[in-house]
Amino acid sequence: MGRGLSRILAVAANTFRETVRERVLYNLVVFAILMTLAGLLLGPLSIRQDEKILKDLGLAAMDLFGTLIAVFIGTGLVSKEIERRSLYPLLAKPLSRGEFFLGKFVGLGFTLLVNLSVMLLGLLLTLAAIGRRADPALLTAAYPIFLGLVLVVAFALLFSTLTSSTLAAVLTMVVVVVGRFADVIRGMREVLPGVPQQLAQALFTVVPNFANFDFKTRAAYGEAVPPAVLGWVTLYAAAWTAVVLGLGLASFRSRDFQ
Amino acid sequence: MSRGLALGLLLVAPIVPVSQERIDRLAGAFRAQDEVLYLWSGEHVKRLVPGFESLAADIYWLRTVQYYGGQRRFAAGKPFDLLRPLIDITTTLDPGLEIAYRYGAIFLSEPPPTGAGRPDDGVALLEKGVQELPLAWRLRQDLGFFHFLYRKDAASAARVLMDAAEIPGAPFWLRTLAADLLARGGDRAASRRMWTQMFEQGEEGMIRENARAQLRALDSLDLADAVAEAAAEFERRHGRRPRALDELVSAGLWRGPLADMAGIRLRYDLDTGRVSVQEDSPMWRPDPIKEKNDE
Repeated sequence: MGRGLSRILAVAANTFRETVRERVLYNLVVFAILMTLAGLLLGPLSIRQDEKILKDLGLAAMDLFGTLIAVFIGTGLVSKEIERRSLYPLLAKPLSRGEFFLGKFVGLGFTLLVNLSVMLLGLLLTLAAIGRRADPALLTAAYPIFLGLVLVVAFALLFSTLTSSTLAAVLTMVVVVVGRFADVIRGMREVLPGVPQQLAQALFTVVPNFANFDFKTRAAYGEAVPPAVLGWVTLYAAAWTAVVLGLGLASFRSRDFQ
Repeated sequence: MSRGLALGLLLVAPIVPVSQERIDRLAGAFRAQDEVLYLWSGEHVKRLVPGFESLAADIYWLRTVQYYGGQRRFAAGKPFDLLRPLIDITTTLDPGLEIAYRYGAIFLSEPPPTGAGRPDDGVALLEKGVQELPLAWRLRQDLGFFHFLYRKDAASAARVLMDAAEIPGAPFWLRTLAADLLARGGDRAASRRMWTQMFEQGEEGMIRENARAQLRALDSLDLADAVAEAAAEFERRHGRRPRALDELVSAGLWRGPLADMAGIRLRYDLDTGRVSVQEDSPMWRPDPIKEKNDE
């Protein structure tokens, strides 16, 4: 168990270095420019809504940039190793497929955590620069965003074990978009009364509800997310991530690389 | 980068601002705002941006402010046609954006050229805000003020102000103001109290500036009334009306200015003896009480 964990962490560290080498964190430069410009311009343009808009902009950038990284890097993590055939010598070493797969997941998860943390710090610094206080509510919105991103990585890895990186990226994006519209599925009977309630409920259950990770508006108004809600959101994310990772792992293990 | 490529970029880059300027000139600088006409409602926009509604509301709010400023400064006739849909979309995307209701109501209610001159739309917007944010006493206070100041409806104003007074944190004077309105049907003193409150509550910005302008307009009306009183005194003493307002000064009946707060001379009607603010003065406002009585 101990050795297995250290091998997972070794793959994770390698994945982190690899993503940094791929200049993934360059998005932070874009973010810094965005925050600086917003900080300078929004006050006069928005009639004193600069604080709220900065928070909205910062949190939306964390969500959007994070999702793009999770999808486009996540789908390439496994499939590129297969396409480049660099996976074979790795698996010839004392490294199981499961350890490799989980290591990739943890590595990209850590990259996203670093990315999100730096963005959050940047947002807090920008707010301080315009004379606003550090709002702890922002942390309670950033954490669920991270949970959502981790789930996106799990989906990206699952699809990358099944198909090419391009198609996997498309499929992951579809899941993310459909997941953001999950409430439409729940309320579909209001528009289509003929749809059986059980079918609507079943569809709603099998689609990950990404709205559960969205507390950006609340945080922008300085309202912290209650710990109980965060607890349930964590549990929801953990359950979904475990299921999707499990499916991905099963698919990866059963894949024939000959 | 090769020297040829750099030279090419230097040659091509200036085309961008030049062509943009030409497009703006031909198609109108604010044509981008027209796209709002193709959006059915805020609900539809909301469906297009799941998870980013608040950011979208910010963008629409910035566009609303930009559109309002653009119409005030550049548009001939200033129709403000898109103001209501822009504010509607903003407040549907983020129903908690209190400032959009407060400023939006002013943009809509103020008479041209400052605003759209549609106080009914302004009141409807504030009513939407009151529904969405039932604990925001300032919104309810504004709704009461707008009922009185722009629609001359003292009874509705009093009712809404009484409701506002019930909200935790609301100031006690809302109740006394409501009682005043009910007792006297509203007068200029009530208007002055309302605008003074808006001025004192507002931070530097449009709400405060607008309140300051309204108070100066009321000062001008008070001044006109005082000059009219002096003219009446002149008539009592001399058995005739003064031929011009300057005659009040030479008769020692008036020592102050004969111009309103904008420096525009007061209008004097020799036939009726009425003294009023010139209609082309920025200090001129339709007098709610007088209009109400005329009706």
